[in-house]
Amino acid sequence: MASWRDRLAGLARPRRTEPLPVRLDRRRIYVLPTRFGLFFGALLAAMILGALNYNNNPALLLALLLAAAALASLIAAHLQLSGLRLVALSADPVAAGHPLPLALLLHGAGARTRRGLRLQCRDATAWIGHLPPEASVEAVLYLSTERRGWLEPGRIRIETTQPLGLARAWAWFRPETDLLVYPRPEPQGPPAPSATDGAGPPRRDATGEDLHHLRPYRAGDTRGAIAWKPSARQAHLMVREYERPAAAELLLDWRSLAPLPTESRIARLARWVDEAEREGRRYRLQLPGQPVLGPAQGPAHHHACLRALALLPHD
Amino acid sequence: MTEPNAVNPTARRWALAAAGLALLPLLLQLPHTFSLLIAATMAVVAWLSWQRPLPGLLRLLLALALLMAVFWWMGGLRFGRDTGCALLAAMLAIKPAETASLRDARSLVGFALFAPFAAFLLDQGPVLLVLGLAAALAGLLALQRLADAEAGLAQADGTAPTLLRVGRLVALGLPLALAAFWLFPRLPTPLWGVPERALARPGLSDTMTPGEWIDLMTDDRPALRAQFFGPTPAQSQMYWRGPVLWDYDGRSWTRPRGLQGQAPLRSAGAGFDAAGPGWDYQIELEPTDRRQLVALDLPVQVPDELFLSVDYSLYAPRPLNALSRWRLRSAPPARFDADLPAPLRQRALALPAGYNPRTLALAATWRREAGGDDAAIVARAMQWIRAEFGYTLETPLPGRHAADEFLFDYKRGYCEHFSSAFVVLMRAAGIPSRVVTGYAGGVRNPFGAYWMVRRMDAHAWAEVWLPGRGWVRADPTAAVAPERIYDTLEDRTLAGGGGLLRGLDRFGDFGDWMRRGWNDWMLGFNAERQQRLLQPLGIERAGNTQLTVLLALLALALLGAMAWLLARDARGADPLLRAWHRMDRRYARLGLGRAAHEPPLAWAQRVAQARPQATATLLPLSRRFAAARYAGAVEDLGALIRDLRRHRP
Repeated sequence: MASWRDRLAGLARPRRTEPLPVRLDRRRIYVLPTRFGLFFGALLAAMILGALNYNNNPALLLALLLAAAALASLIAAHLQLSGLRLVALSADPVAAGHPLPLALLLHGAGARTRRGLRLQCRDATAWIGHLPPEASVEAVLYLSTERRGWLEPGRIRIETTQPLGLARAWAWFRPETDLLVYPRPEPQGPPAPSATDGAGPPRRDATGEDLHHLRPYRAGDTRGAIAWKPSARQAHLMVREYERPAAAELLLDWRSLAPLPTESRIARLARWVDEAEREGRRYRLQLPGQPVLGPAQGPAHHHACLRALALLPHD
Repeated sequence: MTEPNAVNPTARRWALAAAGLALLPLLLQLPHTFSLLIAATMAVVAWLSWQRPLPGLLRLLLALALLMAVFWWMGGLRFGRDTGCALLAAMLAIKPAETASLRDARSLVGFALFAPFAAFLLDQGPVLLVLGLAAALAGLLALQRLADAEAGLAQADGTAPTLLRVGRLVALGLPLALAAFWLFPRLPTPLWGVPERALARPGLSDTMTPGEWIDLMTDDRPALRAQFFGPTPAQSQMYWRGPVLWDYDGRSWTRPRGLQGQAPLRSAGAGFDAAGPGWDYQIELEPTDRRQLVALDLPVQVPDELFLSVDYSLYAPRPLNALSRWRLRSAPPARFDADLPAPLRQRALALPAGYNPRTLALAATWRREAGGDDAAIVARAMQWIRAEFGYTLETPLPGRHAADEFLFDYKRGYCEHFSSAFVVLMRAAGIPSRVVTGYAGGVRNPFGAYWMVRRMDAHAWAEVWLPGRGWVRADPTAAVAPERIYDTLEDRTLAGGGGLLRGLDRFGDFGDWMRRGWNDWMLGFNAERQQRLLQPLGIERAGNTQLTVLLALLALALLGAMAWLLARDARGADPLLRAWHRMDRRYARLGLGRAAHEPPLAWAQRVAQARPQATATLLPLSRRFAAARYAGAVEDLGALIRDLRRHRP
């Protein structure tokens, strides 16, 4: 059963991924009656047939009017989607197991208010209640993630049963995008090993506690950092600089976890990376067959490390 | 966002309201007490099941109770059209027991829309159509609300925008619906018959029991309308002949089954005067659910479909359950069945034994005194009745000897009593005679040149057979109270002279004239009229193929118009953008279309490289467009749009 459904779905446009923005036009919007629409149609057909048989003109007129309104609702359902544009798509990576928020920015062209649009991607759905004319709206789909690595969102379905619930219009987006899923960090385990060379040199840090030295004021320094007493003795303002002993640089080495299976190593490294980042320590990540990442610290480095971990080949 | 399969209270209320509104036209057609019961049941069920659905057992019991109510009110196990309608109403009354889920609410609305349709099987008046249209609109509104609930739009718009949206759909569909109404090929004969009613309407039938017409005699609804082409008979000649009754069992008059198939006695010669006076007319009969028709005394030319039986009563091939229209010709008889065959004569003289001894004795006396002169006996009887009898609608229940009691005790009654007793008397005197039922009189409508006969104009008279003259009409009621028979509302108001009454009367006439127009235009449209629809286009009789082709073409055009109208607001947003896109499309044909991500200027430069001749015009044009669209530069937009439109690659 699933095979012919898949094959049929494979025929639906678009057949390839496509760059954004994507505009929905009549070639890629599909309209079919809903189950209730079929029931309603059968009801109307029975009414029309009966009315024709009895030459019952009021009944015929009523049934035909209902049928014509139902037909108009089919076109209206199509037009709910027509002219809709998927402008942008973004997702911040999350660790596997957490829902991945996939944000879609949709723009409705034309002077039509669109209502009750349903977005679906894999098992995630989101509703757009109202999309006023010439306006944009952001919808977020929370995709469930299982595995680290690239998550291919595949096709995103947008559908509506407005205005009467008799017909369902739907269309597919196939954006050219891959979503990154970080590896799932292990819940608990041994702490990260300290770097072999012991404590590193102290680092200047405005939030440190030990005074390092005074330096001339530069635009942008905070008021609290100005050393007023020494400044009074100088021609210009002086600023205190603090330092604190930098935590030891961490070397997170793949090889040091040799006895563990691959996924456990990745999970542990991911946890260490997260912890090091949280504690503000500089860290290096050494993965097999890859140049060492770091030492560094900060969101960019954090992302680079987790990305490298996420993209390690699966077993 | 609510759970998509649960229905929010607003949508639920709408679904219930739509169901109630749809039920209304149907309930108006059913017996009133039954309708009240159904309406009350529906309200209670809807109220009880608002919080949680009714338990299944209770629902089952309720269904059984209503089923019994249907059989109680609709006359037992006899299943007719109205029984079906009553059952539908009963089902709809229980259906609100489950409306919590989207599916249930939708099926409630769907089934409810069947109710106006069922009501049209019972009556097809304009009021009902208006109610039906209101129900259909409410149904569509409810569907819209349910679709909103499905999309989790908990805070739906107000009623006005919803009404506007649905109204737009209906308005868009209206031309298509009308085209299909007029052009969809109609069936000249039904594929299957309409089930009859279980509860018969009172009216003319094959039997008559004196005293049973009392309801009919006060029913002022129309029975038929007639339009004359050429001469119009005098009002006292307007006897609309219906079923002729031969057999008497002491209580009721019935029409023998066997006579229906017998054709008029052509050999005997009805003796119509071909050149003499005749009335050419069209008669429009309200539905009766019976096969009997009426026609002016005596019908001489009838459509082929109708059966004219030996006693000149008319029968249709199937019960008349819709308004029907017949073109007939009648003429006053000169010599009507001057020869009476023995079996018919015997039938016209038969009386049940052991009834009405006083009448038999009187008849025997008269026969002795008159000798062989039948006409004298008839005249004497009429004389007696005129002198001593009175007209009243308040009659006691008849005993065993109904004719005796009427002729010698009460001496008061109405047409049923007069005609029945008169025929008994005549038969007792040896004069072949029979009871004829039908209508008498009519009112001329001043707005449309037609005559209207009400159901209260129902009448029964007698026919006696006199040697050499054949059947002769004898109306004892007319001898007593001519004003009650020929007297029409019109005459009465003229005599009474009440200004208000006359005004009301004119209003009534106008209403009836409107109703006749409705009958003519709305109900009278059938296969035959449809075939003549294309006469203005030079097609004398349009066949089904022509109609279908025309309908298909029209439907395509109308669907296109529908799509265009609906899509218009999508296109028309910004004329500048439209002109720009149109120009872009011209370049796309040359393979130089703008990519979706390309800014206007970059694109123009790319085009200029490929087509140097475009440089001079396209570059400044796209610069102006970019400035107007993105920089908000004030420019004469009209000129820019014109230039964009004019530009050719």
